[in-house]
Amino acid sequence: MGNSQLQIGMANIAFRSLLVGLGIVVPLLLMANRAKRMRRIVAALIAVCSLAAAMAGATALFQHTAIRIELSVVTPFPFVLTLDQLSAFFLLLIGSAATPVAIFSASYFELHYSDQLRNWIWGFVSLFLLSMIVVVTASTIFAFLFAWELMTLVSAGLVLMEGDSPERSHNVFIYLLMMHAGAAAVAASFFLFLPFSHTQDFEGIRFSLATVPLGTRTAIFVLAFAGFGVKAGIIPLHLWLPRAHPIAPSPVSALMSGIMLKTAVYGLVRFAFDFLGGGPWWSGYVVLLIAAVTALLGILYAIAEHDLKRLLAYSSVENIGIIFLGLGTSLIFAAHHNFVGAALALTAALMHAFNHALFKSLLFLGAGAVSHATHTLDLNQLGGLQRRMPATGLAMLVGCCSIAGLPLFNGFISEWLTFRSFVAGSTVLNTKTQVILPLMVGILAMIGGLAAACFVKVFGVGFLGRPRSAGAEHAEEAPFAMRASLSLLAAACVCVGIFPGILLRPLGLVIGGLIPAAGLPADIVSFTRIIPWTAAIVLGIAGMAVLLSGGKRIARTWACGLPGLTSRMQYSSTGFSKPIRFVFARVYRPERKVERLPADQPYFPVSVSYSSVRTTSWERAIYRPFVDLFISIAYQLRRLQTGNIQVYLLYIFLALVCLLTFVRFER
Amino acid sequence: MKLVINLLQALMLILGAPLVRGVISRVKARLQRRRGASIWRPYSDLFKLLRKEDLVPPTSSVVFRIAPALLLGATACVAAFVPVVWPIGLLASRGDLFLLVYFLAFGRFFLSLGAFDGGSAFGGMGASREALVSSLAETPFLLALTAIAILASHADISGMIGWTLQQSFFNISTVHILAFTSLAMVVLAETGRMPIDNPTTHLELTMIHEAMVLEYSGPSLALIEAASAVKLHAMLALLIGLFMPWGMASSYSGGELGLAFIFYAAKVAGLIFVLALIESGVAKLRMYLVPDFLGVASALSALAVIFTMLVKR
Amino acid sequence: MGLVAIATSKILSSFSVFLFLSILLLAVARRISTNVLLFGVQSAVITAEVFATGFQEKLAEIYVVAAMVFVIKVMLIPRAFFVLTKKLKTVHDVKASTTPTQSVFIVAFLIYLSYAAVQSYGQEVRVPEDGLAAAVALILTGAFLMVSRRKALMQMLGLLVMENGIFLAALLTTFGMPLVIEIGIFFDILVGLLLMGIFTFRIRDTFDHLDVSKLRRLRG
Repeated sequence: MGNSQLQIGMANIAFRSLLVGLGIVVPLLLMANRAKRMRRIVAALIAVCSLAAAMAGATALFQHTAIRIELSVVTPFPFVLTLDQLSAFFLLLIGSAATPVAIFSASYFELHYSDQLRNWIWGFVSLFLLSMIVVVTASTIFAFLFAWELMTLVSAGLVLMEGDSPERSHNVFIYLLMMHAGAAAVAASFFLFLPFSHTQDFEGIRFSLATVPLGTRTAIFVLAFAGFGVKAGIIPLHLWLPRAHPIAPSPVSALMSGIMLKTAVYGLVRFAFDFLGGGPWWSGYVVLLIAAVTALLGILYAIAEHDLKRLLAYSSVENIGIIFLGLGTSLIFAAHHNFVGAALALTAALMHAFNHALFKSLLFLGAGAVSHATHTLDLNQLGGLQRRMPATGLAMLVGCCSIAGLPLFNGFISEWLTFRSFVAGSTVLNTKTQVILPLMVGILAMIGGLAAACFVKVFGVGFLGRPRSAGAEHAEEAPFAMRASLSLLAAACVCVGIFPGILLRPLGLVIGGLIPAAGLPADIVSFTRIIPWTAAIVLGIAGMAVLLSGGKRIARTWACGLPGLTSRMQYSSTGFSKPIRFVFARVYRPERKVERLPADQPYFPVSVSYSSVRTTSWERAIYRPFVDLFISIAYQLRRLQTGNIQVYLLYIFLALVCLLTFVRFER
Repeated sequence: MKLVINLLQALMLILGAPLVRGVISRVKARLQRRRGASIWRPYSDLFKLLRKEDLVPPTSSVVFRIAPALLLGATACVAAFVPVVWPIGLLASRGDLFLLVYFLAFGRFFLSLGAFDGGSAFGGMGASREALVSSLAETPFLLALTAIAILASHADISGMIGWTLQQSFFNISTVHILAFTSLAMVVLAETGRMPIDNPTTHLELTMIHEAMVLEYSGPSLALIEAASAVKLHAMLALLIGLFMPWGMASSYSGGELGLAFIFYAAKVAGLIFVLALIESGVAKLRMYLVPDFLGVASALSALAVIFTMLVKR
Repeated sequence: MGLVAIATSKILSSFSVFLFLSILLLAVARRISTNVLLFGVQSAVITAEVFATGFQEKLAEIYVVAAMVFVIKVMLIPRAFFVLTKKLKTVHDVKASTTPTQSVFIVAFLIYLSYAAVQSYGQEVRVPEDGLAAAVALILTGAFLMVSRRKALMQMLGLLVMENGIFLAALLTTFGMPLVIEIGIFFDILVGLLLMGIFTFRIRDTFDHLDVSKLRRLRG
């Protein structure tokens, strides 16, 4: 690609200017002026910065020398940003997803927030983007952890800005708690490197791998997996996801689900492949198992949901599971020194991360447009939106097709790569792997089928048929900025779906830097060239059929002789998912209550009410005992506080005595 | 020349599909001691529908109108993947089994959406049941195909068929028998035949596929009927190609191709007869027994995959 | 004669598949008549295998054994079961304690287990691995049927499936047992079945049902 020096220079300038823009210019502008025009400028600036991030990422991907920015002069610890190929890929991801979100927010924030909040929200969004960019480009421990914590705090702040009722505060509290626990694990895994590398710099860590003993390496992997796993939302550490994502403003949910989860994937890839060069031999199987459980349970919980944003949150859990399936497979291949397979699986995982960023942002932004138009997010209250909001509906249709993994859309490509890496597992010489990996094809197949069913429900119940409430009936098309951003994302999904080479070639360079292998197998590359032809066939035949069919006459649907069909006669979201919920009843275990009033006349009821409450079984089985244990320990520790001053003096005295004995025995 | 033959194969699958349907109905009728309609009846049905008027519900959107076309497009693409008389299909040498299965899912997705857009209760019911059946049928479908792909060391359909052609017919392989049984059960589920779904029922509460197309009429209905016929034919051709491909031409001389066509016709006739027997002999399964049926198929295909490891060792 | 030789060798090398299919279908069959039919098919496959072994080893004894297997296990015993079912006027359902999906996955796992077990000493004994694995799988499946089916008739069937497995294992490892032993084994089976038949009637007459899970007095 062209003049290498020029490219590096451009990427350098773009990167530095976006840092300055997001970090310094935007807050200053927001503090200076509260006018609407200023906010428009800020929105445009943020969008431009995101675009710059995408461009910087794209150009830096093709370079072999990394771009380095030293900021240590203003910080107590070393603070260096490096743009190597992996970071560049994730920078491209962030930029591609954030630009449409910024455009969307330009009109969303204007319409939804009070005057004093608007400036704050823009400031926080800018800071949020900046922190995520720093996370994927940091190359010292201090920079990484600083940006990691900043991400959590800023997103929590954004969620609280939407409202701080007790329930929301409780959810944000759980979010902060779990994120801090995860950050502690990540920090611990970093610090385990320090005695061997003597430097905070990632380069130093990479070089010191040979001196790290096996036990420490295992501990580092486990801690990193746990820490990044909490952030990514794998089961059983996912509890914060369905609590935090739905209550955030829609653009922020898009950023959190689309981008923030991917920073955790970045962290794990950086640790497992870059620092550790592949985990211990059992690591791949553990990751694979957890990923399979995560994906399956995620989609099962998603199908049972009728709140649109909670459904999308659980669907994010499922997609993270699919990404981790690819990661686990790659680790298994690496442990058996099958580098071609490892490269294939890692390509699948990273490509799914990128695709998910695109279509999940699309879906969350669409949910935002829907909630703006209808003031509700309950699928059971929506319906008939495709006729009232055609552009939004079409974009949501593309999003639903992509996430269902249908061919000609981008979700299919990464799922297909994951499938192919499973099938390639049959060439490994270990009998366990030869059986387990192909069997994973079956599990991913069921997950894909359930995902398709779930999003048929989302689009079918939410957008088609008759509107089920007044809000849905009076919905109006979304404003231009929202429509533009949705169309951008939809176009991106379709482009990557039909021409996957756009993404696969750069991804090959990234993987090549991590795993020393020859590129992708030949049949995979030739396959990607066939997809445009299939698109031509499908769209050609469909187009011919549409063109050749004559006019259509509007006639009412037959209502079996009744006066007419009402919207209540349609299938609701709960009804649609009933067969699947029935078959997988062991997973759900809801608490059901049916109440008939009046109670003493069962055959002439005035009203019958049915309620079914689902608490995910993980909360009951794993978290409650833990929480109860901690609370009981805390109660026991309370006994130390007697309130008696002589007892406190006794404690001080005992501490002195202990110290003296310790010093004495250390001699 | 190759392109022409491949195109002819795909056209054979598409245009011959209503004939397959007609023959199945006729054989079923004869088995039930009726005279049955002519085997060319589905063609006249399609032409009749194409001449009629297309009615759309007032609450429907653009999805209702384009769903049948997209369904036909996707199914026709699937037909391009499956070879008939010549081991290389139109796209079969590059497109692999996952693309085939997921194009079927593409068609099904849009059909379900079209069902919702009708605004009646039956559409949602059909879509809901179809969602259950298809999500459970994906596992045995992909696992059975994977087992054959592992044995053949090729994931594209042509590669798998070419490998099977090289095996001797009398080498009954455990993997193949298990995969065949499982795939046969999946074909019954995917194409909506007994015992999963009754294609000739007129009681809405017993429908799965038919419930989704209740609101369609005229040319749209013709497209949907054609698509489901093509799907059945393509699946039968896939079964034949993967498990009994002997007789396919190995060079593109007219004589060999003609002979291969006769062989193919005989095999399809055999499969049709077995299918008609099953349809006439078994009662439709209750909805919540279908997961058991597909669970058996999943276990069989999982066992097939496990046996590939035992065979390769 | 060449065709018969080919057919024999093919039967010998691939009969185990059909045995696997039969036990997988036994796991899901819900009616007593279907189970008995599957048992009949299984015994027919074993008869074919015995015939093929006889053809290969060229021993006349084995033909006699094959004929006995066919007459007793494919014709007499299923007929006896059908008559018994009709006389007992029992409901058709097998009353399994595991769902069909669970049963079929358990049996699939048992098949895998039998392969794993046979593999470890398949190299030492010059026995066809598939056949021996099929025999072990039959034994395990018979035991599983006895455990998970609650009708008394199904206990009998489970025992018969186990006996099929043991017979097959003995046949494969010794290439045909002496005829006297075969006759002795068959006699044992017949007497055992007769006794079980009588007891089934007694159980039904005393308790009015055949559900063995309700017979809980087996305590000291």
